[in-house]
Amino acid sequence: MSAPQTGAAGLRRAMGFPAAVSTSTGLAFAALEYLAAAGLVTYVAGDSAWISLLVAGLLALLAWGFFGELNGMFPTAAAIRRYMSRAMDDRVALAITFTYLSTIVLVVAADAFIVGAALTHVLRAPAWLTALWTAVLLGVAVISNLRGIKAASWLQNSATLVAVVATTAVSVIAVVRSHVALVTPFQPLGHHGPAGFLESVALGIFLYSAFEWVTTNAEEVRDPRHIHRGMFLAVLILFVGCSALAVAMGHVLTHGELVSAYPQLYLGRAAWAAGGMWLMAGVTAVTALNTFNGGFITASRFVYATAREGSLPPPLARLNDRAVPWVPVVGLGVLSFLVSLVVLAVGGAAWQVLVAVGAALEAMIYAVAAFCVLRLRRILPDEHRPFRIRLVRPVAWAGLVLFSVMGLVASVSVDNRFSPVPLGIIAVMGAVATWYALVEVPKLRAAEAARMAARPTRRRPARPAAGLLDDGSPGSAASPVRPGPREVDADGETSS
Amino acid sequence: MATDAEIFEAYGDWKSRGNANPRLVRMLRGWDRSVHLVASDTGSEFTLEVRACVLGDLVSGRQGPADLIVTASSEDFADLFWGDLNPSVKYQNGEIVLAGSSEDVMRLDALSMVAFLDQ
Repeated sequence: MSAPQTGAAGLRRAMGFPAAVSTSTGLAFAALEYLAAAGLVTYVAGDSAWISLLVAGLLALLAWGFFGELNGMFPTAAAIRRYMSRAMDDRVALAITFTYLSTIVLVVAADAFIVGAALTHVLRAPAWLTALWTAVLLGVAVISNLRGIKAASWLQNSATLVAVVATTAVSVIAVVRSHVALVTPFQPLGHHGPAGFLESVALGIFLYSAFEWVTTNAEEVRDPRHIHRGMFLAVLILFVGCSALAVAMGHVLTHGELVSAYPQLYLGRAAWAAGGMWLMAGVTAVTALNTFNGGFITASRFVYATAREGSLPPPLARLNDRAVPWVPVVGLGVLSFLVSLVVLAVGGAAWQVLVAVGAALEAMIYAVAAFCVLRLRRILPDEHRPFRIRLVRPVAWAGLVLFSVMGLVASVSVDNRFSPVPLGIIAVMGAVATWYALVEVPKLRAAEAARMAARPTRRRPARPAAGLLDDGSPGSAASPVRPGPREVDADGETSS
Repeated sequence: MATDAEIFEAYGDWKSRGNANPRLVRMLRGWDRSVHLVASDTGSEFTLEVRACVLGDLVSGRQGPADLIVTASSEDFADLFWGDLNPSVKYQNGEIVLAGSSEDVMRLDALSMVAFLDQ
């Protein structure tokens, strides 16, 4: 059955184009952006970092094309489930989706840790206090979510504007105040060679990642086209902001400052001394607002919906009195805190492992999106596509290959050195997700079907058997006689 | 294909059960909304209002601006209001289409869950 299409036209409150742009930009511009930009600079000559980001931005536009087409076909918050389960076996789709979802845990954990570390640094507090700040930040995020508090649209838009504009301005001022001209702005292979450049592009993709999460707002935009147009503009804004950031970091920071957990504070200090450091600490906290707001809502609602369809344990679908799925919210907070504790305990460049894992997973999901576009063009050639990629076969195949390579490259490199740790983490997460989808999900669905079958009889009254309803209209064969006990199939559909 | 009369009857049952459910009343606190229902197969349109934690009557046609718009087949609306259908599965399949903010969608889902599971 083809999905009935509707838009948000006629809604009292609907998301406009500026909100779509700021949501897409804000979801990508997390606190982890600063560390990823600093990491990128260690791979490529600092003044040429913008070239890596340009190439990564062009690749992000490929992903934009894929998500634009897929979101146009399935303009719903559940789009990722719908297009993946159409394009491939549902169990494979679930395993990939669960693995992808873990990116949100990593990003939330990393952001909480980064903000905590930045606060510890500017307050000159002992390092162990980072754990306390992290706990407080995640605690506030969890409680706000449980109480159904969501940052107002204007607040989100303002936070994104402040974060991007302040970061860009501080970056430019830091370069100007260094009183040293850019030395190698056009030599991306100057210091590290092609392999380093490739790794920097892989990391650069991570700087754009999550711009596509705005597709979960497809049901609330005034015009469906706002989503893919908003994503396009967000990629351009991210290119400008992140290029300025990376070039400035490479130009004015030392290697020791670049590999710290708060390179943005040193950048602020280079621009405006102590005042700049405090400013960047504030901006870092502001970026966390969007991550916590968007990350918690996206992840918890997705887990809730998956539990409701019977693919996750029923307790994950429990709602509190504010209609918030409290188990996923608390679980996400606890899991993020544990991950950030591990990062703190391991120390050193542990956060760079998170960046590498996140970069690899994002590249992986972009490759999956390319595959879905190709597959759906084949099996659903006549489906309505408001946004179509031109030359889809070469473009999608190119995206599939390039993102696969980038994902692999990102997963075996940490701090410009070969390291299989990120790949190992991804392999473990993927194995757990696959085992769950193949072994546990069928059991859960069978249990749900049995539970539903044990319910009382169908409540809907029977229709007149003669085929005419009381008002004289023809009835269907839906309920010709008083039904017996329910039978529920694996999808949770009831029948009598 | 369900008639408008069947949908009204189903909604009446849902409303009675919903308004008598103390948990649902708590969930509706502070959620005054106007919801438009559109039957994709018959073209019938309805409006339901939630005011002061109470589900109001179902009215034919679209009355004023909506906070949420739900599009589904008439059969699905009838089954949903009788509590015979898990709307999540239909939503994931794209057979129920929603327009509105994610918070409003969650509240509506909570309403349907109460009906479906008799919680």
